[in-house]
Amino acid sequence: MKLLTSIQIIILACFITYKVNAKNQIVADLSQENVKISTDFLGAKILLFGAYDGQKGDDIIVVVTGPKGLVTVQKKEKVFGIWVNTKSVNYINTPKYLNISSNRDINKILNQKTQKISEIGLNNLKIRLQPGKKVQKEKEWREALTRNMLKSNLWSLNENSVSLNKNALFRSYLNLPSNVITGQFEVKILHYRNSKLISNELSTINVSKSGISAEIYNIAQNYSTLYGIFAVLLAVLVGWGTNLIFRKV
Amino acid sequence: MYIYLPIAEQPIHSLAILGVGTFLGLIMGLVGVGGGFLLTPIMMFLGIPPPVAVASVANQLVAPSVSGVLSHWKRGNVDFKMGTVLLLGGVVGSSIGVVIFNFLGKIGQLDLVIKSSYVVFLTLIGSLMLSESLRLILRKRKGKVSRGKLHQHNWLHGLPFKTRFRKSKLYISILLPIFIGIIVGILAALMGIGGGFIIVPAMIYLLGMPTSLVVGTSLFQIIFVAANTTILQASQNQTVDIVLASILLLGSVVGVQVGSRFTNILKGEYLRLILSTLIILVSLKLLSDLITIPSDIFSVVISR
Repeated sequence: MKLLTSIQIIILACFITYKVNAKNQIVADLSQENVKISTDFLGAKILLFGAYDGQKGDDIIVVVTGPKGLVTVQKKEKVFGIWVNTKSVNYINTPKYLNISSNRDINKILNQKTQKISEIGLNNLKIRLQPGKKVQKEKEWREALTRNMLKSNLWSLNENSVSLNKNALFRSYLNLPSNVITGQFEVKILHYRNSKLISNELSTINVSKSGISAEIYNIAQNYSTLYGIFAVLLAVLVGWGTNLIFRKV
Repeated sequence: MYIYLPIAEQPIHSLAILGVGTFLGLIMGLVGVGGGFLLTPIMMFLGIPPPVAVASVANQLVAPSVSGVLSHWKRGNVDFKMGTVLLLGGVVGSSIGVVIFNFLGKIGQLDLVIKSSYVVFLTLIGSLMLSESLRLILRKRKGKVSRGKLHQHNWLHGLPFKTRFRKSKLYISILLPIFIGIIVGILAALMGIGGGFIIVPAMIYLLGMPTSLVVGTSLFQIIFVAANTTILQASQNQTVDIVLASILLLGSVVGVQVGSRFTNILKGEYLRLILSTLIILVSLKLLSDLITIPSDIFSVVISR
């Protein structure tokens, strides 16, 4: 597998370097574009690799963004000696998966302002509070969101994880945890020279449930009552069956 | 071997689940109770989300209950009339329970209610069981055996709609078993239990049923309460994980059969002593989760 990907990279590099030289370009590929969540799914490790028309000192930043949607942050308070969820804040347009990788510290690649404009960095995402709700000390909630998403491995920041080779090749690994959300994942590869974006490349990863695990999930969602009845009948049959078997023992 | 649970949406070690199922089946077979009320907390400790744990355990409970009723029926230890009255209450109660469950999920307090009900009930049962088994052990050492009355009459027997339950040799108000059924049904739906540990003492002490009929009759009504809970949880909340339930029930049905074969070898009171200690430990663990300062007072919920 490793040998195969290495060969792939070499061929790709030979083929591309000559093309890339023509104009500023970046070409990338993924070891896996479709991630299937089946019964043996434990997470996925995807190799992202490619070639770029680089010079000494160039930088590569890779941003992978999963499906966006509603994420609720809850806060616990002590009520009669027990920790209870008392307050909650809804964030909309929140990526349910986010990975930012780079070849060195992002602060050395881009200044704060550019990071903010290009939405690079965990605190520069265009996440909004649900409209119509006022929140006190919003910063605290926003920090809690980042902290918890990092803890669940759904968000990650890996500086120094993109390896560059001869100013022409790059490679990076992407980890999708087992609790990953299904949907379209957007992969953005950005090539910087002296803090200026020279070229970029977009790619997508499709994460979906497959096999029996997908079937079960779909039936449970779409034919929920029938699913419940089937679950009960299965249990009745097993209970009855064991009784028949053990009666003779 | 890891297996990805389609509804819990996470991988789990299948042998661990099978082992837990078998272990609790053994306890159920040996002692007669202890399926759901230990299984659900253990599932939560293993990282299964509480709503999925509750609904899937209700599903798996159907299997050992069916198997148990069949063997009790053969020995004539089931009062079907009483069971039917109880289950009518139980079906109503579990339906109410699922509605409450749904509501608690919406306001984000489900985990808290599930965990705190467990703390209350496990502590209660654990300490009752512990004191009773200790008393029995001490009494046997002294060599005294006392015999109580068949059952006592109190104001509960004065309620209207009196009905005769021939098998149980009772003439009581039908409202009483219906009421017991409703209460147990609500708890069953909320906590993922059959409710045997509540209904068995209620049948003995409140209804005054003969002890020989109690286990079979309670199992009979548990089948329907658990089945109703499963179907409603599946249709209302989509929280029944059939893969999780199947692995658990395979372990538990075998465990029950093996366990019931050893009931005569092991002494009941010592067994109860061990079980009650286990229950109290589980309850303490849950309690400490609720009262110790969480590592992060903030948490996130990602809507699917």
